[in-house]
Amino acid sequence: MKRREFFKKGTTAAVAAGVIPLVTASCVGAKDMVYDRKQDKWFDLGTGKTGSNSRKKTVAYDVAVIGGGAAGICAAVAAARNGSKTVLIQDRPVLGGNASSEMRVHLNGVNNIKGKAERETGIIEEILLHNRFENEQESFPVWDHVLYDFVVREPNLTLMLNTQAIEAVMDGDKIKSALCWQATTEILFTINAPVYIDCSGDGLLAATSGAEYRTGREGKAEFNEKFAPDEPDGWQMGATLLMSSKDMGKPMKYSPPSYAIKYTHEGGHKRRKFAGFHEGIWWIEVGSDDDIIADFEENRHKLMGYLHGVWDYIKNSGKFPEAENLALDWVGSLPGRRESRRFIGDYIVSEKDMTEHKHFDDAVAFGGWSLDEHNPGGIENISEPPSYFHYHFEEVYQFPFRSLYSKNVSNLMFAGRNVSQTHIALSSSRIMGTCALMGQAVGTAAAICNKKNVLPREVGQKYIKNLQEQMLRDDAFIPKRPANDPNDLARKASLIFGSTTSSGDAKKLINGFSRDIDGKNNHWQSDGLSADLQLEWESSISLSYVELKCDTNLQRNIMMRKDSRNDELYFNGIPNELLKSLSLEARVNGKWIKLGVIEENRTRLIKFKFDTIKTTAVRIKMTETYGAENVKLFEVRCYA
Amino acid sequence: MINSLKITLSLLLPLWFLISFQTKSMAVKNINHKIVLKHPGEDIPVEVTLVEVQDSDGLPIAYFTDVESVICLEQVCKIVSVRIYWNNIGVYQKYELENGATLEKYEDDLFDPEDYKKLHTILANIDSPYKEVYLDEILTVVDEHTEDIDAVSGATALELDEKDTVPGAALTCFTLWHWVNGDIVSIIKNKTGESVSNKQLQQFLVDENETYFYIAIAELQKRKNYSKEFIDTIIKRGLKDDFLLRTAFNYLKGASVENYLYAAETLFFKGSREQKLTTTRSLINTDYKVSKGYLNNFSTQFSKLDYQEVSLLLELMQDKNPNSKVVIENVLPLLSGDFIIARRAYWFLNNETLTTKQEREIKCFYKKHKDKL
Ligand SMILES: Cc1cc2nc3c(=O)[nH]c(=O)nc-3n(C[C@H](O)[C@H](O)[C@H](O)COP(=O)(O)OP(=O)(O)OC[C@H]3O[C@@H](n4cnc5c(N)ncnc54)[C@H](O)[C@@H]3O)c2cc1C
Repeated sequence: MKRREFFKKGTTAAVAAGVIPLVTASCVGAKDMVYDRKQDKWFDLGTGKTGSNSRKKTVAYDVAVIGGGAAGICAAVAAARNGSKTVLIQDRPVLGGNASSEMRVHLNGVNNIKGKAERETGIIEEILLHNRFENEQESFPVWDHVLYDFVVREPNLTLMLNTQAIEAVMDGDKIKSALCWQATTEILFTINAPVYIDCSGDGLLAATSGAEYRTGREGKAEFNEKFAPDEPDGWQMGATLLMSSKDMGKPMKYSPPSYAIKYTHEGGHKRRKFAGFHEGIWWIEVGSDDDIIADFEENRHKLMGYLHGVWDYIKNSGKFPEAENLALDWVGSLPGRRESRRFIGDYIVSEKDMTEHKHFDDAVAFGGWSLDEHNPGGIENISEPPSYFHYHFEEVYQFPFRSLYSKNVSNLMFAGRNVSQTHIALSSSRIMGTCALMGQAVGTAAAICNKKNVLPREVGQKYIKNLQEQMLRDDAFIPKRPANDPNDLARKASLIFGSTTSSGDAKKLINGFSRDIDGKNNHWQSDGLSADLQLEWESSISLSYVELKCDTNLQRNIMMRKDSRNDELYFNGIPNELLKSLSLEARVNGKWIKLGVIEENRTRLIKFKFDTIKTTAVRIKMTETYGAENVKLFEVRCYA
Repeated sequence: MINSLKITLSLLLPLWFLISFQTKSMAVKNINHKIVLKHPGEDIPVEVTLVEVQDSDGLPIAYFTDVESVICLEQVCKIVSVRIYWNNIGVYQKYELENGATLEKYEDDLFDPEDYKKLHTILANIDSPYKEVYLDEILTVVDEHTEDIDAVSGATALELDEKDTVPGAALTCFTLWHWVNGDIVSIIKNKTGESVSNKQLQQFLVDENETYFYIAIAELQKRKNYSKEFIDTIIKRGLKDDFLLRTAFNYLKGASVENYLYAAETLFFKGSREQKLTTTRSLINTDYKVSKGYLNNFSTQFSKLDYQEVSLLLELMQDKNPNSKVVIENVLPLLSGDFIIARRAYWFLNNETLTTKQEREIKCFYKKHKDKL
């Protein structure tokens, strides 16, 4: 009410003055404002007259996930879907971590194994497909909202943005509460939960809980790592500020700001390339050989200086005529981080586990990005190549569950770049697609902790099969670990067949491998559309769920990137293999009855849920894909 | 330089010269076709002359056309004329340059002898990455924000594997690949179909390379030729190659009802599983009226069929030949065989009009298995 009066007065003043531009109106002095202090709520609050709002709240959940990057989102969604009331705490206004519009790092995964992708499935696949439908333009700010949608639509999940987990309150070796500061509301939340998952990268909560961690580089000897330095040291890969530029169609001038650091490229290594500079340069990187977190603000300032220094070099050195019409269109202000704390679990993954493809009985995730270790010194040491791509994988490697929970804080798990691994292992596994798989694993494990009333280590020791089976059912992939779920009734079918077959075999849909891999095909593909898949059981069964995994071409990337590549390896549209329309029928008393119809499917994992029926046969009728001539499936499951 | 290049080429690719020699010796007639083609690099369709080379029997044996080596937007590239050759089913064979002409790369670099050979390999790869590439991607500069060096980069945004491109000549590769593998392929197939005689179509139907079969079927459909002679050849082929059955039935359903039913019966009775299934499906979907007697005959086969075949055939009977005494008699014995088949038979019989004795039989089955139905 009073505010309106204030505006009114301001405007009148401007109008009275005739030609005075409107902005002047906002310069009205305090003495001109009309306050009715007796009725002003804010004044009353401030003086304590109406009592102050409580700025402290205590809330309780089954699982608390800290950090809303790729790992945290997948952890939170997995926990929520598996039945735990979950909170996701994210300190920034947007989700996505390094891939958010604040930083715009490409969300990559196992993008290239011998010329083909070996894409991650599960929750991250669902997110990337959702992005294909909702963000055809591949805009990073829109991607933020795609992630927001993906999280807030989840019924069992609460999202707290602008909220930072700042301290753990301990009860023995357990985190009792996480103190979290919500900057926008000035509220200090005490979040109580039986299980905590730190996916924040830096791991402030985990660190304050006393969970053991390491930083820096291990020496060669400790883990027998070929690519590690001879002696251990404190070096951690740096953070980077990205940018992008726009072609303005006419020459554009650029003058560097006061804080720019002059860049000359003198003595620069030949692999320090500028190609693609219009979308940012990843080697504008500053790390630390000490406390990289304490150095962050200093490094951020330096990075802003280097970013403009390099751009000045591009624009004004005369060496980049192609940059003449380019102007900076977006510049990052928040550096994306690569490395800091690595928390210690019951196992520390190291180089040889990856390069020698160690088989872990408790494998829950996989990776396959090259061992991409950036040079010590980053941009402050340009005579070295910006990264040593030590090793390119020809096959994916496994990641064990024992590296995803704390050795000494009993109810703490982690996922993402801060997990139990060496510096060299991190050089590959830090890729967001890989982080996302770890996230789904710990989220699922947290739900098991709650269901069985156990701690993470016990999940590893007693319930690892349950964890793996649940993940496989939820469309994760674990190398060399076929699904073998005793509750899956499809495996007990007496017959399974497709109406037509152009490749593969319908029987392969129950072999436990939900992708073609290791030189083996594990699919059934129809010959034309429409096509049916039918299962018959000798005795009648009770049925409430039928779940399918269809093709989305895992050999071609659909990652979130700035470059919108569209070639053999990258695709920027909806995979045309994806199944679009289908329906499900069951035979009851000799008649086929419809149990469900899906018209615009958007996911690889397709689920039908219906009131329990008794039946001896089901039939899935598939009528359309997003373009492919045949439909291809990788799995069918049936549950009571 | 140019001479030595030619020598290298002929040493590397003697086959090319062999083909062109053969083409010349047998060719008796060149026919020019003015055709309009779309190219992803051109805004509007382009008219080109496609030359069809026929032998003395009027059989097309090759095609060629001349195109410009590169679509150049900024008028800075050197353009030369390239002659592209295909065989009579649109499979690319070779390219030739005008006498003395050479191809150029980015920044005035010339093609090396190896590059000419590589270009040939790229053009011959129908699944080349160029299939999915857009002109813009070639025209923008490289983006290496990928932290990975798995790919090589030319002067463009494309990150193609070294084996898939001539570095520095992405635009030429792109231009020529789309001329070679674009719409022209189906135009060539069509022209070949149109040019050949019925006798030659007969040959096409039995050629090992199935592309000829597809061309022949499409052409026969256009000619509305459903003679018994063709149908017999198609049946024979369908009995041999399962994967052609869908196309075969696509054609057969256009034949007269007698010929269609004759073909269906032959394929069903002489064929194995795939033939039986495809035929049954076709009979379910056909608009032709099918007589009871004809369908009754199919029911004599029940005891020899597996579950999927039985099930589909029962669907056909339920749909187009319900309450047939012969069918019922032939289905009843299934009740005492494999249980899953028996159950399917039971549900079929349950909907049919049965004699009292038959009713008793299925009731007995019901009693025995009622928990498993
Ligand atoms: C420039 C650059 C290039 C890279 N290139 C690639 C690439 O091409 N592809 C690729 O996949 N990876 C790349 N990486 C690595 C990758 O981005 C990281 O390793 C990855 O983001 C780690 O995932 P995460 O989920 O663990 O952490 P993050 O993505 O960092 O997410 C952690 C989230 O937690 C939040 N957070 C932090 N602390 C707290 C707290 N106390 N309370 C609440 N929230 C908190 C953060 O705001 C953030 O949103 C690159 C990294 C950089 C910097």
